[in-house]
Amino acid sequence: MTALSIWRWVVRRLLLAFLVVCGMTILTFVLIHAAPGDPIYVLAGDGGTPSYYADMRAKYGLDRSVADQFVRYANAVGRADFGYSFMYQAPVTRVLGQHAPASLLLGVTALLIATVGGVGIGILTASRPHGVLDRVVRNVNVVAFSAPVFWTGQILIIVVAVQLRLLPAGGITSARDDLTGIAFVVDVARHLVLPAITLAMPFMAVVSGVSRAAVVDALSEPYILAASARGVPRRVLIWKHAAAIAAVPIVALVGEHAASVVAGGALTEALFGWPGLGYLVLHASLHRDYPLVTASFIVISSSVVLANAVTDLLCARLDPRIMLA
Amino acid sequence: MPIIEVWATIRPVRAFNSAILATALIVIAACRQNREIAQPVTLVVSLTGDPGPLNPAVTTSGNTHPVTDQIFNGLVGLDESLQPVPELAESWRIEDSGRVYRFVLRKDVSWHDGRAFTSADVKFTFEEALLKYHSRTRAALTDLVSAIETPGPHEVVFRLKRPYGPLLQRLDVVEASIIPKHAFVGEDLLSGAPTRRPIGTGPFKFVSYAPADRVVLEKNASYFRRGLPGVDRLVFRIMPNAATSVAALEQGEIDYVGSVAGPDLERLRHTQGIAVVAGSGGSGGSICQDVLIPNLSRPPLGDVRVRRAIMAALDRPFVVDRVYFGQGRPATGPISHLLAWAYTPDVRQYPHDTAVAERWLDEAGLRRARGGERFAVTFTHANTQQRFAQAVREQLKGVGVTVNLQTLDFNAAVDRVFVKKDFDLGMASYCNGADPDIGVRRVYVSSNIGPLPFSNGAGYHNDRVDRLFDEAAELVDRESRRARYAQIQRILADEVPYFWIIDSEGLRAHRTAFEGFRLWTGALAETVHVTGQSR
Repeated sequence: MTALSIWRWVVRRLLLAFLVVCGMTILTFVLIHAAPGDPIYVLAGDGGTPSYYADMRAKYGLDRSVADQFVRYANAVGRADFGYSFMYQAPVTRVLGQHAPASLLLGVTALLIATVGGVGIGILTASRPHGVLDRVVRNVNVVAFSAPVFWTGQILIIVVAVQLRLLPAGGITSARDDLTGIAFVVDVARHLVLPAITLAMPFMAVVSGVSRAAVVDALSEPYILAASARGVPRRVLIWKHAAAIAAVPIVALVGEHAASVVAGGALTEALFGWPGLGYLVLHASLHRDYPLVTASFIVISSSVVLANAVTDLLCARLDPRIMLA
Repeated sequence: MPIIEVWATIRPVRAFNSAILATALIVIAACRQNREIAQPVTLVVSLTGDPGPLNPAVTTSGNTHPVTDQIFNGLVGLDESLQPVPELAESWRIEDSGRVYRFVLRKDVSWHDGRAFTSADVKFTFEEALLKYHSRTRAALTDLVSAIETPGPHEVVFRLKRPYGPLLQRLDVVEASIIPKHAFVGEDLLSGAPTRRPIGTGPFKFVSYAPADRVVLEKNASYFRRGLPGVDRLVFRIMPNAATSVAALEQGEIDYVGSVAGPDLERLRHTQGIAVVAGSGGSGGSICQDVLIPNLSRPPLGDVRVRRAIMAALDRPFVVDRVYFGQGRPATGPISHLLAWAYTPDVRQYPHDTAVAERWLDEAGLRRARGGERFAVTFTHANTQQRFAQAVREQLKGVGVTVNLQTLDFNAAVDRVFVKKDFDLGMASYCNGADPDIGVRRVYVSSNIGPLPFSNGAGYHNDRVDRLFDEAAELVDRESRRARYAQIQRILADEVPYFWIIDSEGLRAHRTAFEGFRLWTGALAETVHVTGQSR
């Protein structure tokens, strides 16, 4: 592929990304404003007089029409000003900045667990299709994929945290202590295990299924059969040759889901009291914190679009047959 | 092993033995736990959501106040029977039959930054914060207060336009926290620097706040109540999921949870080292009642005969037992039995009786149609009330009333019932507060019919009731007020403008390693200490 065509592809993707993010922003803005419920009551408390609520609405600009509010919001966003969170009484960018690291940590860990675990299990099961391990894994996968995260998470909490007392039930660090240095890192890691496994489980099931299918497919390619006929050990065939071909669908799958795993952990975060973006979006939506909800969705949709673009590039690199278009 | 020996030597009566064994186990458990408590002593309290800006004088938020009520003080405190006791004010005098309230402030109070607390802080708090932004205090006092005077640094006088009996009940830390004037100079009250690093006079000082994670407070060593607080650090752990906080309590990561879901109750009650206790008050509202709200402007619920029939058709003891897991008592009228001085059971009662309900519905002209149905109503409720809604649907089905359920998220349900008024049956938890004038009046007086959350949602209008509420508010003498409220309760129980379901008494749980929780007030942690260590 020529340098020129790469640039054309990049420009086209950027343009597309911009349109998608704009569309998401408008959609979020309209939907959250259309949801019944007035943020002023959450913001200002109950038992007030009509004049009090009118004053407060004016103070937050909520007395303007939705169209007017949108134009003002779009203008502000154009100047990289994402507004002011009602709930936190702080700039939205600051609030997002406070919650993003926890989400990244949880999401990336879950993604790693799901990818490494899923690919490993996929290859193992592919090496003996329809064997005992394969059948057990397939059944477990059905459960892991279909079980809702709040169920999986609660089972883990009850068994691992409450009964066995191996790991903490929730939060990101121990509330009782003020740890620093290596003790702090260990503490965070201990808190990370259960939510990361909970978030990783359904995706790990998908990854292992896809990996298994891809490896099984690859193993039936003529050149692998030829290599096998020449006496190349099966172990080498699977781990070296087949795994390389199988990498494309796996990378495509992981890339496609990466951003949504990182950003989509709302239920897991809420269950474990994990202070990330997912929890923030949930909380902000319930409180009708318009600026915070809209900005969160801008961040989430941007990262999905970005992750997809990176995935396409990676796939094109891994398999020269794939054309960027 | 010693327990076994004690068990073996004393064996007269079995029950007596069990009691001794239980006591011994509790003592041993308590000792063991006390040993586990590390120095400095940290108390961890769970909180369901982010508190946001920490200025208690501009919000009634149930997530903000549990934190700020430990950092700030009110002019008065409330004792267990909700009677005012000295706090920032060491004494007061009510003059001109309730038109003038004269407070003498303590002289030994200082803010957490070392500055002295004076009457100027009180005047500033009311005029700039409470009367402008605190929704309940502004609604109640703005038209009432004519002047707040500060004749000296330790004297404050409230002059009112008319006599007002329950003023003191509105001056505790939940309804009127006092904030520092000097810290807010040139700062916005809703979002300024002191809302992120609050400076109070209370038992705990602010240390840090990590959103969605925790708020850390530490002991105020120069607190004006010597010897308090009893713990060195107070941490609020933000835990949105109730089941997870209970798990964390069982594991020992958290010491106190403010609510226990029904299904967890039995397990917790039998967990060693954990106490389940009932409480009706606190920062989020006190002495609450859950009620069904009929839309009185729509037939057939506008007809009092129909409402009485529905009251009789509802099996409220069943609901209290099975839906609320016994966390309260069936309500008999508009005032909770927990507001003991004002409550009277001497009103028309509606014991569960479907035959009576059917007869009354027949008499109201709503006979069963061929399919057995008399009429249908839609019940608009929040998704947190689904179990209750299902119970109501089943019970009313028994007398031929079809209830269609409309489940919405909390804010959407509030919007539809209170603001849009597009409903047949709604639901709310109305908190009576420390005085009927605070939380009961607003539900029944006609001046509070309007598109406002938790107002007179039924749209009930009775001039006599309006007048009685006004009279009761203007009296200072409790006996005369009690008589007015008794009259009000009798009228309302006759007319059933709401279906009172339960006088809530929520259960909380704490580790027995700590004791001294003040469950009726916002100042939950002031007197908490390690069990067995007297203060």
